[in-house]
Amino acid sequence: MTAAASTLPAIFGSIRPRPRWRETKLLAVVAATILVGSVSLELTRHVADPGEATGLHPANPLHLAVYLGLLGITHLVLILSGRRMDQILLPTVAMLGGISLLLMERLPQTLVVQTVGPWRLGLGDVQLTWLILSFVLATTLAVTVRNDRWLRLYKYTWAAAGVALLLATFVLGDEVNGQRLSLTLGPISGQPSELLKVILVVFLAGYLSEFRPLLVEESTKVGPISLPPLPFVVPMVAMWAIALGIVVVQRDLGAALLFFTVFLALLYVATGRPGYVAVGIVLFLVGAFVMYQLFDTVRVRVDIWVDPFRTPAGTGYQIIQSLYAFARGGLLGTGLGAGLPTINGNLPIPEVHTDFPLAALGEELGLVGVMAILGLFLVVVERGLRIAASAADDFRAILAAGLSLVIGTQAFIIAAGNLKLIPLTGITLPFISYGGSSLLVNGIIVGLLLALSDRGVEPPPPPRRPGRLARLAGRGRPSAAAASVPAREGRP
Amino acid sequence: MNPAGAPALVPTRAPIRRRPLGRTIGHVGLALTVAFAGLALGAGYWQVLRSPDLSRAPDNPAVIAAARNVVRGAIVDRDGKVLAANKRDKNGEPYRTYADRAFSTVVGYASRQYGTAGLERSWNAELTGVSNGNAIGDVLRKFQTDRYDPQKLTLGITSALQDAAVKGLGSDRGAVVMIDPTTGEILALASTPTYDASAIAAPDPDTEDAGFAAVRDNKAQPLLTRATQGQYVPGSVFKIVTAIAGLGSGRITPTTTYPEQPKAENDGLLVQGFRVHEHPGVPARSFDLVTATEWSSNIWYALTGLRTGGDNLASFAGRMGFGAPIPFDLPTQPSQVTNPGGGGPGGFSDQVELANASYGQAETLVTPLQMALVACTVANDGTLMKPHLVIATTGRDGTRRIQPAELGRVIGPEEANAIAAAMQGAVESSIGRQFTTGAKVAGIPTAGKSGTAELGGSGAPHSWFIGFAPVDHPQVAIAVIVEQGGRGGARAAPLAGDLMTLFFKLAKP
Repeated sequence: MTAAASTLPAIFGSIRPRPRWRETKLLAVVAATILVGSVSLELTRHVADPGEATGLHPANPLHLAVYLGLLGITHLVLILSGRRMDQILLPTVAMLGGISLLLMERLPQTLVVQTVGPWRLGLGDVQLTWLILSFVLATTLAVTVRNDRWLRLYKYTWAAAGVALLLATFVLGDEVNGQRLSLTLGPISGQPSELLKVILVVFLAGYLSEFRPLLVEESTKVGPISLPPLPFVVPMVAMWAIALGIVVVQRDLGAALLFFTVFLALLYVATGRPGYVAVGIVLFLVGAFVMYQLFDTVRVRVDIWVDPFRTPAGTGYQIIQSLYAFARGGLLGTGLGAGLPTINGNLPIPEVHTDFPLAALGEELGLVGVMAILGLFLVVVERGLRIAASAADDFRAILAAGLSLVIGTQAFIIAAGNLKLIPLTGITLPFISYGGSSLLVNGIIVGLLLALSDRGVEPPPPPRRPGRLARLAGRGRPSAAAASVPAREGRP
Repeated sequence: MNPAGAPALVPTRAPIRRRPLGRTIGHVGLALTVAFAGLALGAGYWQVLRSPDLSRAPDNPAVIAAARNVVRGAIVDRDGKVLAANKRDKNGEPYRTYADRAFSTVVGYASRQYGTAGLERSWNAELTGVSNGNAIGDVLRKFQTDRYDPQKLTLGITSALQDAAVKGLGSDRGAVVMIDPTTGEILALASTPTYDASAIAAPDPDTEDAGFAAVRDNKAQPLLTRATQGQYVPGSVFKIVTAIAGLGSGRITPTTTYPEQPKAENDGLLVQGFRVHEHPGVPARSFDLVTATEWSSNIWYALTGLRTGGDNLASFAGRMGFGAPIPFDLPTQPSQVTNPGGGGPGGFSDQVELANASYGQAETLVTPLQMALVACTVANDGTLMKPHLVIATTGRDGTRRIQPAELGRVIGPEEANAIAAAMQGAVESSIGRQFTTGAKVAGIPTAGKSGTAELGGSGAPHSWFIGFAPVDHPQVAIAVIVEQGGRGGARAAPLAGDLMTLFFKLAKP
């Protein structure tokens, strides 16, 4: 491959395009799969008994062409950039996005209607638009991010921005169904908690990589119990408090669970101390118990989870419909477009496009399809963790691990909710659910992961002097290992 | 762990080492993989293990959608005579019509307004074609254009037998259950009063409302399928259960006699200060299984019950289905040997209750279907077959026969044959005939037991009969109850004899 690369002419001065054959092949497979899915959907549409309202909307072949074109352009830009980035991540995400597009094309288009100028955009149109923006964002980040100082140095600024975002949502947010999740600024509306998860990971990566030596080696003994050094218990408790705050303020159980899980996972990655995780889980259980006692929202969610069939027409309705959809799918599924008979013109599962896409896919693609989708998410996580494990330093490692864990954990939480393995919380299935904020933020994650995977980015800066806390503790001198990270060659 | 005298807070010092993060990242990746494996298992649970029953749930949107648009499969009797058919209203939408009122308590109805009942409810998924009861077929069906494959249901019931049973019950309330004891196929399942199912399923709402109101307001509760849901005091037919428990547990043999019996026949049997009395006309003698059954001796069966013990009685009854709903095509009420919550063995509160239950009084309550299964157990050499109404389903892929299944082995063939001999005596001996008048099928060895269930008040007792024929190779077992029909020999025994005679006449044209 290196030989092939050297034959390509240099463009834009010093940048040499570098072929990405593995990505090319995988993208071809993805394109073929989406085409087959699209043909299958079209066949169902034409063959389905007209007397039976499947709620199928005429397909827009242009959408498919645009999406495949988008993949091609993204691929080409990555080749032209000449960077040595991961070649499996993009096709995997492209597959998930393609599944999302097929699903949104297939659902009633009136689920989401937005009017932009003279155009009336339906569900499929809007989702495609967000997919395009998401891929553009990912590609831009992947190609342009060449150093990580702006992330690394300003971790407290990022943290402050995150808290500010949270507060803004609380004060200015639009309240829907007792939840304050979205923020409207002028014409732009979005869900800040989606962005918050990236900010959280950036902050944690900065914080944990800086104080890792202390967290690993130090402990404070209170009687027989070994605790982390006292100054570092504070951020852990703060994280716990922020997670609870999200529940209390926003009633957003899913985001709180996601943040706390990712925090604990990163704490373990950085320290290798299962004791921290154990303490965290105890804190979580205590918090969950208190929340259950105090808040109706939490209690209702848990009660539905325990026995949804007690209130089949009320609070249990959604999850029961989800389980029915999975059950109707069986092993092989009904086929794309052949599931979800409408009742009186309504979809059986409300919010199927945001909260229950996996149930819809489980019905139409069956257990086989569900396993495949879960497998795709695992591939994303595996690539992310691989990038983390081979990263040049701790900051990048924790950052990459955190970003991929955000995807994996979020997919797990909503999938497990759909399957009634844990109480249902309303968060999106990454890359598949309808939603601009979710797709854009996931685009940022993919972009950052691709940039981090580049084996030719600038070497990380020499470690800073220990932070004030570390100096107060009198330890945390930069170790020799960190300073001697080999500077790697960018291009041959 | 701290050195003595050290302060509580001691930062422990260790050399600063930095390990690469690959190891812990690997752990986290492994944890997430395990979590995802859990998701896959969860999906497998709902999509494979629970798929059959959830896909058939009445409120599953697929089932509801199918019920609106699909022409339901027909329901036919054993000879192919159509019991439930479809017509189309002026809008071209299908509705159900029912041919025979005698079947309304079995077939039920499928109404646009009032939902479904009976087989129309329990077999809804097959009748609408959402499922054909065959997992592989369900999967393959997904590749076909028309996803609905309504199944035709064939019942084991013969119309002539069912009609004769309903006619025989006449204006009385009651039930008849006839079963092939070797297969468990239901041959007749009559409950009276019946109702007009066609009216409830009628296409115009007024007829529909009137039809449903007529059923709902009828004090005799025609929607209660007495054969499977009616709970009755059994009286002496329960003695067969006592015999099964006694012989099955080995506590008695067919030749067991009780020396205290002759005295007790005159003075009553003293149990914990309470006297169990014989019904009039029984000689003061010692009986064995055969003579006690011929005479229907309360004293001998009370003594047998006491010797067998409450735990054995409850346990052998449980093997035949007592204590839980019987698995069946229609909803069933559980039968009980005693009220739940009693402190003694088997749940009986004391020996007095056990003695009275042993001849079918006390707190014992049974369904006609349960008593028919008791007769089946004796008839089929002690092995109970699962009762079932639908014997075949027919769809696009052809006919699928429902295979006989064992519910379990209750007693051995020798014990069963001993009881069968006693029951034959109860029908055919000169003494037994007095209590079971009319139960004998001419020319065919017949076994049976009548029952006269005292209700405690002033009303007439329930008239009961259970039995089977021929004794050697039984083809039909029967349970008949006529509510307040008097002695067992008055109404139930002759009706059972007539129906079994008709069965053999139909079998040999």
